Amino acid sequence: MSDMNVRSDNVDVEQIMRQIRSRIREKRGVDYTEEEIRELANVKLEKFLDPRGVRSDLLDQFRRSRAAITEPQNFAFEDSTLYETHRGFIRWMRKVLNPILKLFFNPNPLIRALNIQAELNTKREQLDALHYEVMHNLVIELTRVGIEVKNLKMRVESMSSRLDFDERRARALEGVVMYRPGSAAPTGPPATVDNSRTVEGDQERRARRRRRRPRRPPGDHREVRQGSPSDSGTGGQDVPDRGDQTQVGPERAGAPPADPSTGS
Amino acid sequence: MKLAIAVQRYGADINGGAELHARYIAERLARHAEVEVVTTCARDYVSWRNELPPGVETVNGVAVRRFPVRHERKPRDFGRRSERVFRHTHSLADEVAWLESEGPASPAMIDYLAGAAFDYTVIFSYRYYHAWHAARRLHQKAVLVPTAERDPAIGLEMFRPVFRSVRAVMYNSQEERAMIWSATGNQQVPGVVVGVGSDVPQRTDPAGFRRKFKITRPFAIYIGRIDENKGCGELFDYFQRYATIFPRGLDLVLVGSAVMPVPKHRRIHHLGFLGDQDKFDALAASDLLIMPSYYESLSMVALEAWALGRPVLANGRCDVLKGQCIRSNAGLYYERYEDFVETLYSLESNGPLHHRLGQNGREFFRRNYAWPVIERKYLEMFQRLDRETAPPPIAPLPGWLARRRASLPAAESVLAGIPSGAVIEGERHG
Repeated sequence: MSDMNVRSDNVDVEQIMRQIRSRIREKRGVDYTEEEIRELANVKLEKFLDPRGVRSDLLDQFRRSRAAITEPQNFAFEDSTLYETHRGFIRWMRKVLNPILKLFFNPNPLIRALNIQAELNTKREQLDALHYEVMHNLVIELTRVGIEVKNLKMRVESMSSRLDFDERRARALEGVVMYRPGSAAPTGPPATVDNSRTVEGDQERRARRRRRRPRRPPGDHREVRQGSPSDSGTGGQDVPDRGDQTQVGPERAGAPPADPSTGS
Repeated sequence: MKLAIAVQRYGADINGGAELHARYIAERLARHAEVEVVTTCARDYVSWRNELPPGVETVNGVAVRRFPVRHERKPRDFGRRSERVFRHTHSLADEVAWLESEGPASPAMIDYLAGAAFDYTVIFSYRYYHAWHAARRLHQKAVLVPTAERDPAIGLEMFRPVFRSVRAVMYNSQEERAMIWSATGNQQVPGVVVGVGSDVPQRTDPAGFRRKFKITRPFAIYIGRIDENKGCGELFDYFQRYATIFPRGLDLVLVGSAVMPVPKHRRIHHLGFLGDQDKFDALAASDLLIMPSYYESLSMVALEAWALGRPVLANGRCDVLKGQCIRSNAGLYYERYEDFVETLYSLESNGPLHHRLGQNGREFFRRNYAWPVIERKYLEMFQRLDRETAPPPIAPLPGWLARRRASLPAAESVLAGIPSGAVIEGERHG
């Protein structure tokens, strides 16, 4: 909450939420909500990962195709299905005439094939739904991981450039190291230095620094608490221990124990 | 003036949101009119089993007339019918059958309401059997309190004529009104955003609460049924992660009966169901209230927290709660874990912010939800209806064949087409 100040009597919750979210974004780099990730997953994946031809709007396609194609109703096909009717008399007649029918052709292989097909249809329907769901979830996860990788790449780049800078700085500082008489030998080749001039200049600088520095009252070991929860993602920062406090809420508000905005 | 309050369940010990709302309104309106509550003998909202005796009794000074429910709800049948009307193209007959299955089916209650000489009947909870049938039979006297949440039921075709034909609609929030307008096109029906007040005690005893329940550390509180549907699973997940990052941050106190397992965590304290005084003492002792619910038509406990000057941390995916936080300037909201931890941290650590949000909450409650304000809105609506002429009769149901034509879209797809989001326009505080 280092950048959140509550001034005067006005509080704008939307403004506060914007501040909170911008802080989260700053900490996490590119920051996407769950909905945004889903939206991203719905555009072509080539933009992120170039998976060549993998479509990311699978679930939508699946739903569309399901809506467009009215699949014929699947039903169990048993031995008796061909002869079924709700009229008892006709059922009886068909049974009676069945031997005559079998004189013309054998319906048994047909019945068996249809029976197997009905079972296969049932299984296929279940598997289709499952496959699409799994693929859809995989695509979303892939998108999420892609974004994460991109963020990490950016962070690695930024850290390596900072490391380069630090190394250069360290080398530059090594070049101006001052050697006192009797001190250990230099580890690297020192630049040409006028010792007497450097000592004088150093003393002068120290005196100037002393003049500039304001005096701190004795015993002032104040710690300024700043930052916010995500700064302490690894447990670095924390609120002060109020374990024994029983006065909370507004009682605390007048003199907040840790108001990062004011640094108190 | 003679008023009837029609509600699915009623009793001093029945604490469902709409039922408590109905009881508060009945008790308050009883100061201005002759009020009779007409309800069922059910106590359980899942089965609607007849548990209370039929007939007339008095609850907190209000006459209550109970009628038996014709049949209990069969969960499997109701689930099957819900699946049909919510997810598939269906017919009006399917919807009527769904309503019958949902219950509480009490034709005797509807007959009584139709026969009695009430000036107006205030009907609670649009989605139940009693509300639909009573509103159709008595639409010229019907004042509907929908208590509608953003769930697929609002997308059912059967409710459109009801919303368009009742005399008035008393909304709980701007978001609820926007949703109903969009779903039913009933903008021409007189309506007002009212909500409900609460009997917040003048004095609370936070120190006494801490002593009684041995809670010494600062804490955030959740009050309500501990249920996955109320967002408690997500709350537990987020809070445990927050507790890992902040070993000395706030504790979480839960008040209410649990219908899901509460995680065993040294910083999560489940106190069970508490009486009103303990509940208000707990709220007064807390730093803030957390409302993790995804669907609310109005959160009474959030209003109570504001009345006591406590900020609210709400689930931002609930339009109503988010809208109320923004309009009141008295609460923050989260939509994911990162928001949750940052907002909770802000509320616990930033004293001036906490203080200011609390003050805004008090003011918001006083201006919009204090009992005199609520009573005035109801009475003004009745006066307005007295002056205005009654609307034309409600259109009868289509014929036998038309009712069975499966041409109505799935309610979920209708709901998906209804715009969502918090209503930012309107009175704002702070």
